Amino acid sequence: MARGEPPDWALPSWDAGETGAGRTAGQPAGGPSTRGLFGSGPAGTFGLRILQVSEVTRAVREAVRQDERLREVWVEGEVGRVTVSSAGHAYFTLKDERSQLACVFFRDDRLASPFEPRPGLRVVAQGRVDIFETQGVYQLYVASVQPAGFGDLALRFEALKARLATEGLFEVARKRALPDRPRVVGVATSPSGAVWHDIQNVLRRRWPLARVIFVPCQVQGEGAPASIIAALARLGRFADQREAAGRPDEAPQVTILARGGGSLEDLWPFNDERVVRAVAGHPVPIVCGVGHETDVTLADFAADVRAPTPSAAAELVTPDRTELAAALAAIERRRQALALGRVGGALRDLGQERRALDRLHPRSQLAAARERSGLLLDRAARVVHDRLAAGRSGREGLAGRLVPAVGGAVGSRRADLERSAAALRALDPQATLDRGYAIVRRAADGRVVRAPVEAPAGTPLALRLARGELAATSGSGPSTPP
Amino acid sequence: MTTEPEEAALADLTFDAAYAELQRTVAALEAGGQPLEETLALYERGVALERHCARLLRDAELRIQRLTERAGGALEAVDVSPAEDEPPA
Repeated sequence: MARGEPPDWALPSWDAGETGAGRTAGQPAGGPSTRGLFGSGPAGTFGLRILQVSEVTRAVREAVRQDERLREVWVEGEVGRVTVSSAGHAYFTLKDERSQLACVFFRDDRLASPFEPRPGLRVVAQGRVDIFETQGVYQLYVASVQPAGFGDLALRFEALKARLATEGLFEVARKRALPDRPRVVGVATSPSGAVWHDIQNVLRRRWPLARVIFVPCQVQGEGAPASIIAALARLGRFADQREAAGRPDEAPQVTILARGGGSLEDLWPFNDERVVRAVAGHPVPIVCGVGHETDVTLADFAADVRAPTPSAAAELVTPDRTELAAALAAIERRRQALALGRVGGALRDLGQERRALDRLHPRSQLAAARERSGLLLDRAARVVHDRLAAGRSGREGLAGRLVPAVGGAVGSRRADLERSAAALRALDPQATLDRGYAIVRRAADGRVVRAPVEAPAGTPLALRLARGELAATSGSGPSTPP
Repeated sequence: MTTEPEEAALADLTFDAAYAELQRTVAALEAGGQPLEETLALYERGVALERHCARLLRDAELRIQRLTERAGGALEAVDVSPAEDEPPA
């Protein structure tokens, strides 16, 4: 209240009956009625005595308490600084563009609340306005706090999603396939917390042939969108610089953008339009693993692949080396074999061996792994689908298109390997040798002998049998072809 | 054997290169039509390639680097030891 103005506690005429001198329900000063009131007093000093500070405060308090509008209020605003006293009470400010409001959230209410006010969040606080006499301040005594406008956020989510969808940002045609076996993987996530470690562990276990290029970024709070965008941009610039240096293979072929679970507000940076655009415009395929399976963000939609969790993102970008190794080992076990290829009609008989081998092969392991990842993707698909169904305009079937593409990529990678292994097994000549065929070679130069003329009488021969070699010498006399 | 110079080069092959050659080898074997010696050589090459791949899978160690910005905006990937804990943001 500025000096020189009539004091607040001056009695408005309509309030005079209820209050005593110096203790009054003052209304905001400056109204014409207030001036009129002073004019009516004798010699301009009516009611003007010197007050105690506490009298003023009490007068304001009474005024506030009598205002029914302030007894129960719901206030929406952005949370400013929050301090928690040693007693467990939280003190924070709520602000909008023009003003701010001091709030106190007492320990018991605070502990009972499922939601904690944190700086930068928009919340709705419910409580009463009252005066804290000791400090002469008015504040909101908060009874409960909840995130502002779930409805509002959902509206913004859907509106932005619809707008970006019409731009084609989420088009399936835009989705790029992930590299089968990336040599370099970019990771953008928070350097602190479990997510980065989880990702490292998955990559180390599954695909340690890769090099990981880590770009730390802030994934929560007001600065998060800018930080995420900067991290992705750095990866892009790094790729450009490597390209310019003639070493494009040193830049990541795929990028993981990840964040652990959290509240809707915590994940909100991933619904920031700038972040969504940065994800969509990233120069290499990008896998988004934000939150838990049930969390869906617009960045997920813009990514080439959505992973249900950060760890799943790391799994999706890498092949499993143990699966590759198992397939390779199946062939290595037959290494004693020599190639017999397509001698005579032997190939027809190979079918039987092949089927037997197929049964022995750790295909069941591959199938189980495929099933596991399939289930995971199914779950993700269901979640996305449910979320979309819950949204008012989420009927594009985006998730349904997104997820089969992922399953296809993973499945085809495994299928590729499987085909290679099976083909080599089919061609493995050991099976033919096992049935009693032999390969005859000249001991001197190792040449395979096909006709008697290639091994005149007395030529030392090496016979490859199913189990080992046998030395022999060519005899005399004509032979007939088999 | 004619495969020896190729085998010597095998150790330098990246996993991708070895794996791609393995797939080509298998495709060639499946297509057939080679003389027996060549079939033999292809098969043995295939096995060698597979062993090389398996060795790479077994022995590889994940390398972690962090992108660091130098003066002038040049970005450099700097090795981070796996044991090294990241400082809190």
